[in-house]
Amino acid sequence: MPSVHPSSKKAAKGRSKSVRQPDSTDSEDYDSDNGGVDEKGMERLMSALGDDGLDEFDRAQLGLAVGSDSEDEDDGAESEVGEEDGEDSEEEVGDEEEGEQGADDSDEGMGEAAGGSSAQEGDEDSDGVDDAEDEEIALDELDGGELDEDVVPKQKVEIDDTVAMQRIRETIQLDTKMPWTETLVLNYPETIDVDVSDDLNRELAFYKQALHGANTARSLAAKHNLPFTRPSDYFAEMVKSDSHMERIRQRMLDEGAGIKKSEEKRREREGKKFGKQVQIEKLKERERGRKEMDERLKGLKRKRGDMLDKPADDDSFDVAVEDAISDRPSKRGKPQVSRKSRDQKFGFGGADRRSKQNTRESTDNFVSGSRQKGRGPRGSGPKGSSSKRSSGGNKRPGKSKRMASRSK
Amino acid sequence: MASILKAQKSNAAKHDSKKRKIADTDVVDDPTPAPKKRNKQRVLLLSSRGVTHRMRHLMNDIEALLPHVKKDSKLDSKSQLHLLPELADLNNCNNTLYFEARRHEDLYLWAAKTPNGPSIKMHVQNVHTMDELKMTGNCLKGSRGLLSFDKGFEDSEWGRLTKEVFTHIFGVPPTARKSKPFIDHILTFSLLDSKIWFRNFQIIEKDPLQPNGPPQTTLVEIGPRFVLTPIRIFEGAFGGATVYSNPEFISPAAVRSMIRRQQGGKYNQRKDAEEETMRRKERRQREEDQLAVSKVFA
Repeated sequence: MPSVHPSSKKAAKGRSKSVRQPDSTDSEDYDSDNGGVDEKGMERLMSALGDDGLDEFDRAQLGLAVGSDSEDEDDGAESEVGEEDGEDSEEEVGDEEEGEQGADDSDEGMGEAAGGSSAQEGDEDSDGVDDAEDEEIALDELDGGELDEDVVPKQKVEIDDTVAMQRIRETIQLDTKMPWTETLVLNYPETIDVDVSDDLNRELAFYKQALHGANTARSLAAKHNLPFTRPSDYFAEMVKSDSHMERIRQRMLDEGAGIKKSEEKRREREGKKFGKQVQIEKLKERERGRKEMDERLKGLKRKRGDMLDKPADDDSFDVAVEDAISDRPSKRGKPQVSRKSRDQKFGFGGADRRSKQNTRESTDNFVSGSRQKGRGPRGSGPKGSSSKRSSGGNKRPGKSKRMASRSK
Repeated sequence: MASILKAQKSNAAKHDSKKRKIADTDVVDDPTPAPKKRNKQRVLLLSSRGVTHRMRHLMNDIEALLPHVKKDSKLDSKSQLHLLPELADLNNCNNTLYFEARRHEDLYLWAAKTPNGPSIKMHVQNVHTMDELKMTGNCLKGSRGLLSFDKGFEDSEWGRLTKEVFTHIFGVPPTARKSKPFIDHILTFSLLDSKIWFRNFQIIEKDPLQPNGPPQTTLVEIGPRFVLTPIRIFEGAFGGATVYSNPEFISPAAVRSMIRRQQGGKYNQRKDAEEETMRRKERRQREEDQLAVSKVFA
């Protein structure tokens, strides 16, 4: 342990205090441990009082913090004995304090290595380290030591020795005059300030950082004549192998296909839902159409009821029926009779003038005239005209239809 | 295209040769007053025993990305870290990345400057390796990546120190033997939630969706990604005084034990409550009445 000038030690102590300050939560905890003594206020007071005041502060604080050690500290505030005492207890504390002795050695070694004028400075710095840790240790003892029953502080020892870190950084720092092409370091002028658990925004912030870096790097590279963009015909080994990239591509394709598939399915499902409605609508429409047709035919029958007996007028009846049926929906499913067969049936041009005339056979034939489709002479009797309709299509409607018509 | 490359190369070579002439004369050993110093870094990469496959893959990724890395075999003992500076010296490395696996689940990363320090100990979490099929980017093996640090690193001294060390370790020096001439990826370090988030993006100059459109930079993540929580910074290499310790860091073992204790606490609470209920029930039971049915109609 190097012997320390009191003044330098005090200065170091003051520095270590200011070092600790940035961490607000820590200092608050510390305050609560000390029984509500406002550390900042105290410090301000001390700085106002100067060196002597600091001494008092030191004593007061040590008296507060360490019961047994305070005697040592009291009789000779900066005596060598006190220092030794502190060191003894340090060894018990463990890990981080164990390294402290090493710090002294290495500090001095470094100081010497740096040589000359900076050596003194380095020494002082290392003292600063010591002192900061002395205080920390006091706190630490308080944590694990005798006063455990009274106070249960959950606080960890925090070390943030900016002076030492700055010195270390300066020793390892690359030459600042080094051109940018040597390091390719870029600084993003913004801090990442997003919610940590918000994955999307967080990644977006990183992406923005990288994008900013890429763009600035391109202009910098242009300035430094550094080749940046890879030409499309420059082939070399890549970080990820071709087979791996193939797997990635396959996965992307699969993903795309999966999305497409699910979308298709969804649309189909929706279509089905809608299609059902369409089907119902269609059925209703059909039903309505049939009813209407029946109504019309019934009305026709009622109107022409007397005519049915008169065979002479069946042509006009046919026309009436045709008229009634004309606006019937074509979805009946009844195949249309082709032109040819119609021609065959009804005649076209002057095929045979007398072919539709009654002959003797047809006159004699009472039975088959109505049954034989289209062959027998028409209007051969009262039966013939009534059977005209039935001969055209189905002979007997289905059961459900019959039941329906009966119920009307 | 080839002509462009040639032109670019010749340009770079001209530039380089000028530099090298100066560099060759000056850079011999440790020229402090040298006007143009080369960035010479070599990194020893190794792990402790007991790394899992994921950690091993992460190491492989880092090795693939950084051509100036020398990978060494696993270190047998976890207690003798002082061997590492020697090992680095044997491999002509002035940096070391040491992955320390504990309990086969916790991964710690030591980033150290050897032989004189400092060294940073960090806890590695949320590791995603390059093998994952979600990261679709790709880059040249050995191309020098850009390093991007956000402003948070400048706000604290430990941040500045960490940035400096990372610049040495993750920045590929131009003299690296296996390095390739073009820049096609960027490593980003972002300080968020007092943790360091690492990402690696491929830089694409042209939008693949409209190849004839104006050149527009887009990025695709290559991987790996991980999050580092700084624990301590030591003055020496793998030892020495602590110059920074993170008060917010809670060791993963402590976290796990806390969870377990909470679960155990739940059980204990339930049992206590059950007992208490029983006790109360018994206490509330009435004494047998003199005129109870069973007594009257005995």
